[in-house]
Amino acid sequence: MAADTAALSEGLLAALARRRATGAVVDAAGAAGAAAAQAAQWGVTRSLLVDDPVLEDLAIGPGLARDGDGHEVLVWPEGRGRGWRELLGLEGPELTMGVTVPRLGVAERGTLVLETGPGHGRSIDVVSMYHLAVLPASRLRATLGEALVETYARDGRPPSAVSLVSAPSRTSDIEKISTLGAHGAKGLHVLVVADR
Amino acid sequence: MSGRRPVVYPDTTAPLRDRTREALADDSLAANLRAAGASWGTARARISAENPFAQMRDRAREIRRGDIGDLPELLDRLEERVRAAGGVVTRAADADAACRYITDLAAARGATLVAKSKSMATEEIKLNEAIEESGLRVVETDLGEWILQLAGQHPSHIVAPAVHLNKEQVRQVLMAESGWELPTDREALVAHARTRLREVFASADIGISGVNFGVAETGTICVVENEGNARLVTALPRIHVAVMGMERVVRDWDEAAHILQILPMAAIGDDAAGYVNLITGPRAPGEADGPEELHLVILDGGRSALLGTDLEEALDCIRCGACLYSCPMWRSVGGQAYGSPYSGPIGSVLTPLLEGMEGERSSELPFMSSLCGSCHDACPVGIPLHDLLVRVRARVTTTAHRRDRARFRLWSRAWSSPGAYRLSVAAARIGLRLVGRRGWARRLPGPGAEWTSQRDLPTRWPPTPPR
Repeated sequence: MAADTAALSEGLLAALARRRATGAVVDAAGAAGAAAAQAAQWGVTRSLLVDDPVLEDLAIGPGLARDGDGHEVLVWPEGRGRGWRELLGLEGPELTMGVTVPRLGVAERGTLVLETGPGHGRSIDVVSMYHLAVLPASRLRATLGEALVETYARDGRPPSAVSLVSAPSRTSDIEKISTLGAHGAKGLHVLVVADR
Repeated sequence: MSGRRPVVYPDTTAPLRDRTREALADDSLAANLRAAGASWGTARARISAENPFAQMRDRAREIRRGDIGDLPELLDRLEERVRAAGGVVTRAADADAACRYITDLAAARGATLVAKSKSMATEEIKLNEAIEESGLRVVETDLGEWILQLAGQHPSHIVAPAVHLNKEQVRQVLMAESGWELPTDREALVAHARTRLREVFASADIGISGVNFGVAETGTICVVENEGNARLVTALPRIHVAVMGMERVVRDWDEAAHILQILPMAAIGDDAAGYVNLITGPRAPGEADGPEELHLVILDGGRSALLGTDLEEALDCIRCGACLYSCPMWRSVGGQAYGSPYSGPIGSVLTPLLEGMEGERSSELPFMSSLCGSCHDACPVGIPLHDLLVRVRARVTTTAHRRDRARFRLWSRAWSSPGAYRLSVAAARIGLRLVGRRGWARRLPGPGAEWTSQRDLPTRWPPTPPR
């Protein structure tokens, strides 16, 4: 991994850690194993993955499904023919982990840039109890300004929804003390996948 | 369980003086406010030390001044781009127009349940009341706002609405709502709220959010939050309605990136908010989720009248709430005593500007400040709030306090003549001697009673040493 990418990865994870998110830098061969280990640590039984070639290349889905008994792994948006509301756990059992592939990561403030699209639902990371983000290191940028300008500089219609995620879901509404898991993910783990 | 519901506190129909007295006498309120102010102060000091805050603030001020200078043009661009992305834009001249648009829309779509994320603009226009009057159910989903909705109270802080309550008070409110026995444990209370509100997200027909900024360049609405409820409100229901004060526009993504960083620094002492939702139009072709309709309601509500005046800088505000935490008044009485959705220094400026100078709150709130200037120091966009307070006072005084003006004119005329001055001082001296005991007046009659309720007044010069 190039020196500047290493510094950016370190910056991203350090900034996220200040907001009680966790993460690690892994190589491509180790990504599926690291994802499965994190899911096991969280006690995840039902996961919803974005439909993204990055997850396919890294074999994240099969890696999770191998993990123990009955870990149900679904892929957005088809998910074995279910409706999206059921996929999100709004009907039926609650979703325990959302797996996303951010379009970009911002090192300076520790921010993930999630972009909605046909394969990327807009609430997968928030309806789940845990959020696992798989970020190729080449997608790291130094500043938020750089990342936002790049996201919206493309020709044509801008993405319908972009979510900047910098922390697990938290609230300080009771006595100004930060408590995790208000409505969204109680845990956020970021796997930065080093370039091959 | 007791089923006790906290009273609406303090009674906002009571005069300001009674409200502040009641607040000052409440020890638990004082403790909650002290804790909140201290925790904000620590976080804010740390983040300001880790970042070049002074330079960031200069840049933020430059951005906001420029945006407000070009407001009409930027609003037109925003509107055009939101429409191009498939959204519907409406401009509401006042609260009634905004509420009517939303309740008509809800009726036309046959909605029954509305889920809301935190929005000061909707507090300002009293949208919840309008929705309930039209026969629909509306549920606040920000934890603090939900607690207050259940308790029948108004927010006491722009960013942390329930900051005046402690966890035991919150527990009482949540137990009254569900009828379940709950422990006095923050995590358990938060988990409970998550469970109860998930049903609301899953079944709401309309989601209503505020707007932190509209980015004119691409027609994108930014909604900043930490809990995740705003994402659910804007992503799950069929219809998303965003309500935006007309001044909340930034030009482009370079500016937006800067404001998005300084806002959480000022508001919560962190260099990033947990979630920032950037929404450009409704669900796009090929996407499986997201609202089918996006409506942006741009609220004037008295704002355009400030453009080009010496009060225009009030429009630079990004609603971070820092001036509240920094204000010795707010820290003493909390936000509810102000009796307005906007409390603290910015509230004392905005309330008269948005409601008109004639109202009771308008004539009182600008005077609820010692003009110490700590609000200006705390403000991330450098609004000279203490100057604005003085200017608003001048306006209020010229419009509302005709009697006071007459009184001061009389006084000024009397003391401009040496004879009348001497006569008035002699009369005062004799009067004081009459009411005084052993050289001190402890209880004056009439308007002087307010003075002696707090202090004694010497009746001789030099004063007799107090016993």
